Amino acid sequence: MSLLYDEGQLAIAVESRKVLEARVQMDQLLPLLERQGDYHAPYWATAKEQGWTALALPEAYGGLDLSLVELGLIALQTGRTLAGAPFLTSSYGAARAILDYGPDGLKDEWLPKFASGEAVGAIAFAENQDVVPAKSAVSFSKGVLNGLKPAVSAGLEADAVIVLAEDAGTPVLVVASLDGAERQGFPTFDNSRCTANLGFRDTPAVALASGQTALDAALHILALQSVVTAHEQTGGAEVLMERARDYANSRRAFGQPIGAFQSVKHRIAELYGLVELARAGALHAASREGHGDFLKAAAAARIQSTEAYDTAARDCVQIHGGIGVTWEAGLHLHMRRARTLAVEQGNMLFWEDVLVDELTGEAA
Amino acid sequence: MTDISAYAARADAWLQSVAGEFGTAARRGLSEAEDLALGRRYLKARFDAGYAGINWSTEFGGQGLTHIEKVAFETEEMKYGMPNSYFGISLGMPVPIMMKFCEDKVFVSERVIKALQGEEIWCQLFSEPAAGSDLAGLRLRAEQDGNGWKLNGQKLWTSYAHHSDYGVIVARTDPNAQKHKGLTYFWVDMRAAGVEARPIKLAGGDAHVNEVFFDDVRIDDSNRLSPVGGGFAVAMATLMIERYVATDSAGFGPHLDLFVSLAKETKINGKPAIEDGRIRSAIARNYAMRNGLNAITARAMISMKAGMEPGPEGSLNKLVSVRSRQKLSEMAIDLQGTDALHYDEHASTKDNWQTSWITAPTGRIAGGADEMLLNTIAEKILGLPQDHRPDKGVAFNQIPA
Repeated sequence: MSLLYDEGQLAIAVESRKVLEARVQMDQLLPLLERQGDYHAPYWATAKEQGWTALALPEAYGGLDLSLVELGLIALQTGRTLAGAPFLTSSYGAARAILDYGPDGLKDEWLPKFASGEAVGAIAFAENQDVVPAKSAVSFSKGVLNGLKPAVSAGLEADAVIVLAEDAGTPVLVVASLDGAERQGFPTFDNSRCTANLGFRDTPAVALASGQTALDAALHILALQSVVTAHEQTGGAEVLMERARDYANSRRAFGQPIGAFQSVKHRIAELYGLVELARAGALHAASREGHGDFLKAAAAARIQSTEAYDTAARDCVQIHGGIGVTWEAGLHLHMRRARTLAVEQGNMLFWEDVLVDELTGEAA
Repeated sequence: MTDISAYAARADAWLQSVAGEFGTAARRGLSEAEDLALGRRYLKARFDAGYAGINWSTEFGGQGLTHIEKVAFETEEMKYGMPNSYFGISLGMPVPIMMKFCEDKVFVSERVIKALQGEEIWCQLFSEPAAGSDLAGLRLRAEQDGNGWKLNGQKLWTSYAHHSDYGVIVARTDPNAQKHKGLTYFWVDMRAAGVEARPIKLAGGDAHVNEVFFDDVRIDDSNRLSPVGGGFAVAMATLMIERYVATDSAGFGPHLDLFVSLAKETKINGKPAIEDGRIRSAIARNYAMRNGLNAITARAMISMKAGMEPGPEGSLNKLVSVRSRQKLSEMAIDLQGTDALHYDEHASTKDNWQTSWITAPTGRIAGGADEMLLNTIAEKILGLPQDHRPDKGVAFNQIPA
């Protein structure tokens, strides 16, 4: 897999950008912040219609057999337009858990639905500050789940969820249909993520892996999702850098464009650096899937892109001055998304430790 | 294996075979004169092995390959700490400029071969006390003198001028013209009467840069390499030649694995430093950033192999890597506690944190200060406006002091 996009990949980037820019507007996203349990339906409809849900899944299950590189390109455009639903990443993670660790029957049942977008998947590993808990408050016994998983992204809408639970003290990774589970939404600073507490009461589930394999599998799924998210974060940072630049070129103060002041132009040049480092790291990670250094590359990409998006959100608002902090300007949408993406799938603290463990040769 | 990785492997095999004679270990404890002499022998060996002037035309004694092979060789060569720094500027800029702009091809051919073999060294006389980042503000005068020119003034920060046989120089030929338009480009014989190079000792104790004085130095008009008043364009061309050089995401300082080793060997509050969150965070952030730089470099190499121009993001390397090297070196000194106070003036910037730290500021200033690199990114890549420039459109001698 090359670090240089080929023609087909460039076409995916151009087309997805075109369609998203046409169909996703900021004035549709702002009201979602004030409603709980709602997402931007036109975005998700577009993702299904364009085949993005099928992109990185195998042909045998209705997928397009492309890779993380192509999915990353879509995620990057998604990040640019602040797409109003987390399902592309969450369903991909759920699909990969079933594809990589599940029995054939389960694959036949779920993967075609994820590929078409008919079903939405979610990942429920974290419990509060513990990203991949070896001891879980959710128990799995005799084929059913009991307990609560807090703050699951896409939890309000998901049809199936991959849960890291424990079976008599042993970690176990399971998949459950959410038909009979209890979903409890709550206000968040980025409501279109459809975040919910998931309560299981004798919810039927099927085991995918257990013991250390379950923990390794959970980390692998997070790493795959993190590479998608790193692209999304890069896209968000990129569009903020462009907005900062455009504003600095047009806004005048003290008799000249504010972009002529080094305190402003250097800040934007630094953002350019962060965006390009994030982009290169994300693509590198996508191109390393299936290799021994994938986890290291994914962790590095995740760290670099989180830093890029947070910094871009912070600095872009600062460069805009007063207008930057208004509701209407919408830069707070990026602040909110930057922090949400930074926490979903493991925060910076988690990935720093994963990376250092990889570098020092310790088991993660 | 691709052609280029085969080439790199062959180069590496040769480098390994001579590393004992010329590399880091062989150089330890040598005086500057001895090290320079070793460097000259290394260049001769490199020439004989067919790794000199890799992307230069065969008609000048080069190998006739591309900048891809050149960068591949330099990347391998960097690992061995060879005594090649004395010749870096010489072969990087002045000699290529002579090949391109000097009309006396016989003279140039002789110089090129001697420069490639390490027998002669060229320097680049650009900066002055009043002209660093603002290169076009230079004042050294070249006045017409019969059918030639007479040079008077001072250059500064000229690397290896004290070892140089020749140099290329930008001088002001018309102070009544606007600053960029009154400059002319020449080559000079550094052994000529009236040229004096005085080494300047830098913060780290080394003295590879000089101030160079020109006192009525007479040169022929055939030494002129640009139209009269057209020197700035050739100066810019000089800087463009060095677009394709080997980069180092460690900022030419120690690699991150040396920091990881140090963190394993040292303790914080009685526990291995590698278990300390502050240290882990620094390692992770540095790795992530360098990983990004390496991916940018790898992508640039692939672009070049595909016959495409690499993206402008390659310009980030120096800015980002040297800055991070500076901070990481400070932290490495902290990690060592009072052990850190031991200092070896001759240690290498590649494996000694103190040396890396004390020489790091040079890396953030020489060859484009951080602030200039940020300006270039902002203006050339992002299309932001230039700074306020009171010197624009004004005759040089009318610019407010």
